[in-house]
Amino acid sequence: MVQTFFGRFGWFVALLALQVFVFNHIHLLGYATPMPYIFFFCTLTSQTPRWIYLTAGFLLGLLIDLFTNTPGMAAASLCLTGMIAPQLMRLFLPQDKDKDDTWMPTARTMEWGSFLRYTFCLTVINTVAYSLLEAFTFANWQFLLLSMGGGIIMSFLCVIGIEAIRHNSTKHGK
Amino acid sequence: MQHLLDFLRKYSHVFLFLFLEVLSLTLLFRYNSYQGSVWFSSVNTAVASIDRWYADALAYLHLGENNAELTQEIVRLQTENELLRKQMQEAQGGTPISDSTMLATLQTYSRIPALVTSNGVGVDNYLVIDRGVLDGIQPEMGVVSGTGIVGIVYLAGPHYSLVMPVTNAKSSISCRIRGQEYFGYLLWDGKNRHEAYVDDIPRYAKVKVGEKIETSGYSAVFPPGLFVGTIRKIENAPDGQSFRLRINLGTDFSRLRHVSVVTTPYKAEIDTLKRTAEQLDSLQTP
Repeated sequence: MVQTFFGRFGWFVALLALQVFVFNHIHLLGYATPMPYIFFFCTLTSQTPRWIYLTAGFLLGLLIDLFTNTPGMAAASLCLTGMIAPQLMRLFLPQDKDKDDTWMPTARTMEWGSFLRYTFCLTVINTVAYSLLEAFTFANWQFLLLSMGGGIIMSFLCVIGIEAIRHNSTKHGK
Repeated sequence: MQHLLDFLRKYSHVFLFLFLEVLSLTLLFRYNSYQGSVWFSSVNTAVASIDRWYADALAYLHLGENNAELTQEIVRLQTENELLRKQMQEAQGGTPISDSTMLATLQTYSRIPALVTSNGVGVDNYLVIDRGVLDGIQPEMGVVSGTGIVGIVYLAGPHYSLVMPVTNAKSSISCRIRGQEYFGYLLWDGKNRHEAYVDDIPRYAKVKVGEKIETSGYSAVFPPGLFVGTIRKIENAPDGQSFRLRINLGTDFSRLRHVSVVTTPYKAEIDTLKRTAEQLDSLQTP
């Protein structure tokens, strides 16, 4: 239990640090900023209470906002993603799992296909919500679409990269 | 109570989600100048729209009061208009002393506003108004609307009164052609509620279609000069001795709502004099 808590806390801090110190400084073509911190939801098991999804999402978003001077933006979008994440997990339930089983959304438990679809959905929800809050207008919709598209692609690639590292380290650990 | 607690427990994550979203958006609008200004200008526009709808709704709800006030104002202006017209005639060419006396008595007419609560149809139809004896209504008082005369109070109860409108076959009201002194009696043939006719207009009267018909003031019921209708057609009366004027009535009885009862403190005195004269006549008759 304690080990699980510290494990998740470690992911929390690591993703926060990565976002603040690395990804926030990447602006591809001036539009797209990767936001792979949604990977934190991939560290929560299927039986995690929903209030933890919401609270953890809100806190992670709020801390990111504090360091990027965008109060409320990441907090609101990550809170929304945290609200939908458990439903998505149920949607991409692995065939060998029952809905009452406890499992973590990883490439190993879900297979790469389901895992990619799950994380892609999370990325789309979070990036779209964040971009809409950031732009707060449809006047410049071309820029908005470019920002969303670039953010989704870069965030998704980063999530795949992080999962690949986790996958490999788990395999080597075994 | 248990159901309520169960409901709150079951959907606690939804409430938590809403709370955190509201908190996030509050931070967003409070500490991000661009989003804050867009949000507040949008909210201001929305609030202004709601305020306008609310004001429109209130104005609509007060239309009844406005209509009643307007009716009163129209009747007052009609009376004032007649007074001024007579004064102008007097200044230009002089009018008989009797007219001046009548104009002076106009000042003494007062009006009691009332609502039509029942509006009958047919040859012998009556109107019911929501004012009665307790409000100062007496039989044979005149009833007018903002667009013309309505009728005469026929019976008065404590709270309600029955009005015989001009669109009743038994109604007969003294009228004259505006600007002339020829007078006749306003009658109704029971066919059309928008039309009536005036009999007993002498054949030598110079009458034209489109001229106005107004009350003559030859009774204590109506002040002189209240609009009755417009001449639509001039034809010979059945007796062949006078004209019959077909008129379009000014009052639309099909949607009559606000009316005023015209009262005068001299009516009782006039009625007493009339009764005394009738008694004297009957005594003198062998």
